[in-house]
Amino acid sequence: VRVKLPAPVVIPVTATAAGLVLGAALVAATGASLGGAVAGFWDGMFGSTFAVGASINRAVALTLVGLGFILANRANLTNVGGEGQLAVGGIASTAVALHGADRLPLGLAVIAPLVVAGLAGALWGGISGLLKVKRGTNEVISTLLLTFIGLLMVYWSVQSEDLLRQPVTSASTLPESLELSARTRLPTILADPSSPLHIGVFIAGVAAVGVGLVLAKSAFGVRLRAVGLNELASRRAGIRDGRLVITVLAVAGALGGAAGAIMIQGELWVLKAGFTSGYGFDGLVVGLLARGSAAGVVAGALLFGFLRSGGLTMEITAGVPAAVVVVIQGLIIVAIAGSAILVKSQDAR
Amino acid sequence: MTQDQIAVFLGSSLRLSMPLILAGTGELVSERAGVLNMSLEGMMLTATFAGALGSWATGRPAVGLVCGVAAALLLALVQAALSVTLRANQLVVGIGFNILALGGTTFLYREIFGPLSREIIPGFVIWHVPLLSDLPILGVALFRQVGLVYVGLAVVVIIWAMLEHTAFGLAIRAVGEDPRAADQAGIPVALVRYIGVFVAGAMAGLAGVFISVGDIHTFTEGMTNGQGYLALAAVIFGGWIGWRTLAACLLFGTATALQFQLPAMGIEIPTAGLMMLPYVLALLAVGGLVGRLRPPAALTIPYERGK
Repeated sequence: VRVKLPAPVVIPVTATAAGLVLGAALVAATGASLGGAVAGFWDGMFGSTFAVGASINRAVALTLVGLGFILANRANLTNVGGEGQLAVGGIASTAVALHGADRLPLGLAVIAPLVVAGLAGALWGGISGLLKVKRGTNEVISTLLLTFIGLLMVYWSVQSEDLLRQPVTSASTLPESLELSARTRLPTILADPSSPLHIGVFIAGVAAVGVGLVLAKSAFGVRLRAVGLNELASRRAGIRDGRLVITVLAVAGALGGAAGAIMIQGELWVLKAGFTSGYGFDGLVVGLLARGSAAGVVAGALLFGFLRSGGLTMEITAGVPAAVVVVIQGLIIVAIAGSAILVKSQDAR
Repeated sequence: MTQDQIAVFLGSSLRLSMPLILAGTGELVSERAGVLNMSLEGMMLTATFAGALGSWATGRPAVGLVCGVAAALLLALVQAALSVTLRANQLVVGIGFNILALGGTTFLYREIFGPLSREIIPGFVIWHVPLLSDLPILGVALFRQVGLVYVGLAVVVIIWAMLEHTAFGLAIRAVGEDPRAADQAGIPVALVRYIGVFVAGAMAGLAGVFISVGDIHTFTEGMTNGQGYLALAAVIFGGWIGWRTLAACLLFGTATALQFQLPAMGIEIPTAGLMMLPYVLALLAVGGLVGRLRPPAALTIPYERGK
């Protein structure tokens, strides 16, 4: 029986395989032992409970940003602001966790910073929605500009003691926030103390199922698609597209903001400049690779999460620059974007 | 501020504006033709590295210049092929290129120069413009820069003239506003867009070379540090108009120079605020809160005949 695989599956898999082969060629070109590099890579991905936990934690943030992307993309909106939404989420989470949340009962110490971070992200995404609806501003441009503003806000927050910087006691005091107290950190799941795996994985799982259902089953999902396909027709059909655009960008922002909080409360425990380290852009790419599928987002996020972990360990154990992994990621993105025309022409047939 | 300080400040403002002016002007041409190069940052970074490598390997900065521009043009060719011919999403391709350029240059730098090297490379020397460089204040500020500053500014003016006053410039603008009408009028839409992206690539190449070979005389990982995005913001804040884009680049460059100048004068200001200023201004501008700006109508939209 010939099974015809759909292009949305074949293309990312082919691109990833090609990227990995090219990455291996690069490693070989450096003269490093390919076996050693692969062993290091494998160690970083699956070698220990720590490696697996850290990889999955990375995937959590990527999943949430990616879900926000596909949600907005259903309405034909391109949210490139994930990185900035992570940033403002991280600031909000740190501020709430350090100033008051610590004393809250019943798990609210964890939940309150997370919720406020989601709201901050929603504000960040909502601004772009509002500008789009009221002023006709292209959301790509506004989300991108807001990203840089958000990143610089993190920098600003940890430069000034009036904001979130820890009290400066000596010249060597780092420009970082105080460390979050244990009560405001996300609880870990496994009894094994070496595993950093935290409950963020459940949050991401629930979000993935939720977004999947909303897109596939809900009236909201149908309206998003209608607006995405034809704004004028959907308006004639009585869909209040303006409100929809603002809502969906705010929800995408909220997912990004929550992801920022999860990074801070889950593993970093301090706010510092550049803490987002490209996860927002990676998450956007994950969303693109997924072509509108929530399951695809989870798969892509796991792929990139494990790739990053593997690359870092490979650099340490085999002396091969982790930049190889960055090259692989870039190649995958370009290859998939470039082959989008194949999917389009297949749809047309 | 003493006269000397003013002169140095003005000089460093121009120097720090230069990469933005070069890259921004090139990007302006491409965007007027309807193609947005999110990859500007990646093109610049690639050129800083290729320029530094060429100059270091041969000992001749001019060779570095050629290498840098050639490398950026290569990226531009692929960007154009993907986003014009294959109608790929211009933003995604751009982001992919930026990631690729960061990874690629970091990888090659570590392989070639070693992880911690701060190898000084042969760079362009500062040229004292005869007579003018002896002027008070302005002499130091404007007329003691590397030659690339003057060549670059001349190229910028030529590009403006081309864009606003030639038939080819009209073709570029037509393709960016209404590619269907342009096509019907016999303008080769794809070719014009390719050329637009090439101009962006060549200018981003000059900008990158200016940073590594012209100014800093070394290469460091991720050296462009967001200047490509800043140039994109300048095009937006400039409302897709030549002289306004130039003004935006000068403003952004001056804001950068102030970050260094004010602390040196003992004025405590949050530098993050100054760094944020360009993006806030661009957001206000594109949100229609200061002036009315309109991007080219077909910006980021691929053109397909018969659809």
